[in-house]
Amino acid sequence: MRFVPLAAAAALLCSAALTACTAGRQAGPSLGAPRPSGSASQALPAATIELWHGFSTDAEVKAFEEAIARFNQKYPQITVKATKGVQDDQITQAVRGGNPPDVAASFTTDNVAQWCRSGAFQDLTPVIRQDGVDLSVLPAVARSYTAFEGRQCTLPLLADAYGLYYNKALMKGHRPPRTLSELAELAKKLTVRDADGTIKVAGFVPSVQYYENTPSHLGPMVGAKWYNPDGTSAIGSDPAWKKLLTWQKELVDWFGHDKLEKFRKGLGDEWSAEHPFYKGKVAMVLDGEWRNAMIANDAKGLDYGTAPLPVADDRPDLYGSGFTAGTVIGVPKGAAHPRQAWELVKYLTTDTASLVTLSNALRNVPTTKAAMQSPDLAKDANFQTFLDIFAHPRTSTLPPSVNSVFNQEAFAAFAAKWERGAVPDLAAGLKDVDRQIDDKLKLSGG
Amino acid sequence: MTCLPPAPPARRWRGEGPRALLWLSPWIAGVSIFFVYPLLSTVYFSFHHYDMYTLEFAGLDNYRYLLRDPRVGVSARNTLWLVAIMVPATVLFALALAQLVVRLKAGAGLLRTVFYLPSLVPMTAGTITFVFLLNPGTGPVDHLLSLAGVRGPDWFGDPDWSKPSLTLLSLWGCGQLMVIFMAALLDVPRHLYEAAAIDGAGPWRQFRSVTLPVIAPVLMFALVTNVIYALQYFSQAMVASRVASGTTDSPGSSFTPGYPDESLLTLPQWLFQAGFRDYSMGYACVLALLLFAVSMVFTLILLRQFRRAGAEEGS
Amino acid sequence: MSVTREVTALAARPAAPGDARRREGARARRRRVLLWIATHALAVTLALMFLAPVAFMALTALMTDEQALTSELWPRSWNWGNLTEVFDRSLLLRWAGNTLLYAALGTLFTVVSSVPVAYALARFRFRGRRMAFLVVITTMMLPPQVVAVPLYLVWARLGLTDSLWPLILPMVFGDAFSIFLLRQFLVTIPREYTDAAKVDGCSDFRTLTRVVLPMARPAVAAVALFQFFYCWNDYYGPLLYAGVQQDHLTLSLGLATFKAFHSVQWNLTMAATLLVTAPVIIVFFLAQRVFIEGVTLTGVKG
Repeated sequence: MRFVPLAAAAALLCSAALTACTAGRQAGPSLGAPRPSGSASQALPAATIELWHGFSTDAEVKAFEEAIARFNQKYPQITVKATKGVQDDQITQAVRGGNPPDVAASFTTDNVAQWCRSGAFQDLTPVIRQDGVDLSVLPAVARSYTAFEGRQCTLPLLADAYGLYYNKALMKGHRPPRTLSELAELAKKLTVRDADGTIKVAGFVPSVQYYENTPSHLGPMVGAKWYNPDGTSAIGSDPAWKKLLTWQKELVDWFGHDKLEKFRKGLGDEWSAEHPFYKGKVAMVLDGEWRNAMIANDAKGLDYGTAPLPVADDRPDLYGSGFTAGTVIGVPKGAAHPRQAWELVKYLTTDTASLVTLSNALRNVPTTKAAMQSPDLAKDANFQTFLDIFAHPRTSTLPPSVNSVFNQEAFAAFAAKWERGAVPDLAAGLKDVDRQIDDKLKLSGG
Repeated sequence: MTCLPPAPPARRWRGEGPRALLWLSPWIAGVSIFFVYPLLSTVYFSFHHYDMYTLEFAGLDNYRYLLRDPRVGVSARNTLWLVAIMVPATVLFALALAQLVVRLKAGAGLLRTVFYLPSLVPMTAGTITFVFLLNPGTGPVDHLLSLAGVRGPDWFGDPDWSKPSLTLLSLWGCGQLMVIFMAALLDVPRHLYEAAAIDGAGPWRQFRSVTLPVIAPVLMFALVTNVIYALQYFSQAMVASRVASGTTDSPGSSFTPGYPDESLLTLPQWLFQAGFRDYSMGYACVLALLLFAVSMVFTLILLRQFRRAGAEEGS
Repeated sequence: MSVTREVTALAARPAAPGDARRREGARARRRRVLLWIATHALAVTLALMFLAPVAFMALTALMTDEQALTSELWPRSWNWGNLTEVFDRSLLLRWAGNTLLYAALGTLFTVVSSVPVAYALARFRFRGRRMAFLVVITTMMLPPQVVAVPLYLVWARLGLTDSLWPLILPMVFGDAFSIFLLRQFLVTIPREYTDAAKVDGCSDFRTLTRVVLPMARPAVAAVALFQFFYCWNDYYGPLLYAGVQQDHLTLSLGLATFKAFHSVQWNLTMAATLLVTAPVIIVFFLAQRVFIEGVTLTGVKG
């Protein structure tokens, strides 16, 4: 008879299982419910809220925790428990599993469309209206990557702009390249190799698998388009991609694919002090504005300069622009304390003093106009480059799509195959990427 | 040994059904919850779009997508490679190793331990170690090869070499199989070898006419189970891809399984990606049914083995 | 085992006259010596190759950051600090704790729940016995990914994702592989023993605990060890259910993320790998015989 309790437990679990095929756990309290009239924000009940963010280097984490501490001075009753180094997968999984944090910040905008459409992140529109937050203080591009289909489910918390970093000593007096041909030429000139061809110093690593060289970051150099207006893929039909990939392959072949891979795999970690740019192993890199802060921390003596990315030879109008995206922050569905969470989100994304301090520490582009014009914003030449790129009218972001991650992966996988020389017909290969993206779009009912 | 109180009227074999049911009930419940229910549910979801938020009927959409998804073909080809090359290579290597160890007069115990140990090394640890050993530029293997004047390939970074690299890992971890084969080989009566030797049979003839017939059932069992494990191949490939790609888990650099060039992509990985990274759970269920169908074929072969063995045992 | 014997009998053939052996005596002896040397040399070479990965793992674990990025094989200085640095840089102890919880509870549940099932399958005669055994083999061979989606949804519904419970709790209901293995062993116990117990008036339960289990000790030990190692090394399960938060990871999973966070610090990665591998090896040496016996058991056909 000893199995009776077990059998009972089994039956219990069984019935739980049978009722489980319907979706999701019930949501926690959500935002936008009418608030007791006349209550000031300070009257919020005490709570401990969980915050997940992606910052991982010691300096970044410290700066971000200081921002939270300033929030705490304003709201002493709210305790914020921050978890660092969190990635999108983890956020999505936690929301779906029903154990979300109260506030989540992501470094990428890739999942915003998915989060807004599915309701994984709560639509902030009602509270934005309630609290009278004016969204026009945000640059248009930042508004475009934080909302989808009319739902403002995240807000921008500092933006990123991408440009070119160059090591002045390794440049041997050359000025930073302005076109792709100049970049290729200079990359070859600055590369140092052993007798047997082993790369010692690379002028520029053209591999799409190298750190920040993702297709989305490279695309703006040639003004390449990802999507048609109807959301289908434009990768195969936009000749700019062909131009970019042909240029890139030519440079990869100049290095020799195997040699380049061997070099790439021997390089230090992107987020550590071993970064090859600090170590003088690469002369020029495509990177985000935050690299300024990391260099200041990890490679103090490095003499470097920054410039906009080189652009296609026949598109001089693009020079000065670049790729931008940013950190987004929002309140996931199922958050235990959405009101307190919203106060934190509001503070971090709109408080000028907070944005400026954070921007100065992280060297990220602040995302409100007031913060950008603040006299307290530390500006040096290297950082100013990125403020200018961010403000450039042709600067673009990756348009939101519910399959953003899948689409970028499909393209990146193809690009890796291409640079290896495993793609005989570029046009046909790009058409195939189109087909994958469009099929997937159909599957997700877009 | 005595048990009190003394015997009730002797029970014969009749009427053991209810008792068996009682004893098996937890397991039956387990099979229902963790096998039957999810299997039926998988069929149900395969006709729906589901992302854990909204469930909507999709008809045959997911099945149609299966036919258009280039990664299904890729992973099928990869799995075929594993089944056709990695599995036989591992089984044969384990058999050869067992033959060798059985023949040893000195140090057999120690060497058996050495050959067995790697199979206990945690899979993640073993895979990371192999990626390190074979890392181009810094890895010891390429270094040793270069001393011999050979330029090593990019191993885990080259689509043509990634599966052979994993095969090396699999050979290294074949200790379990080796021990199984050793036991089978020790089952072969010694006098048969002597008789065959006197007949003038060479080592190969001896193996074919004496050893093979005896160990055939064990060999067959090993082959089929390893084929089934190859169909489930997931962790080693996943870890190897991740570690070898050299891309950090950095924000924005999303990871495609199967690096390099999807040469290590297997169906279970693609299913995992579709279901738990893309959250196309309906489509993941279609992939699951495909995986189920394929592994059922091999399970049936295995079951036939059992039935044959069982019949000859006369139970 | 009877198959083995039958097949052997078929393969046997009449022995040749004995004088052939005498004539070739000296030559044969020389050949045997050469063969002995060749066999042992080959075995030792292979053994060295089998040990090499672990040796390189250990050597690299003690190098400096810079040296680990070169192709040098021998550490220029012995950096024992790398081992402690792993603890500082990761939640290794936490992961070990999680893994231990998973492995210990998983093993306990599996053994307690699988023994009765295996016993029933091996001893009781009832309609559907063969069917039940076929189901055991089928579920044993089922790729875990096949039923992953609906089960994940169930556990998410119960709020148990982001923990190891979805992996531990099912083991309360018996584990197919363990049932299979135990059943294979239990059928070899002669019926006379259990029959005698029955005649003495023992209940099924007492027969199991007093008569069968003591005889099946090696099989139970093997099942426990296998299950423990399965849980300890499992990567897929924890990746699916406990891969969200750093402090919920297991050793296998944590080790894989460790590499991701310390991209090319091969010395630290190898130090972590060494730390994860060492306990397993130690346990093996403590229980070597149980292992070998257990593995042998898995190879026995039905």
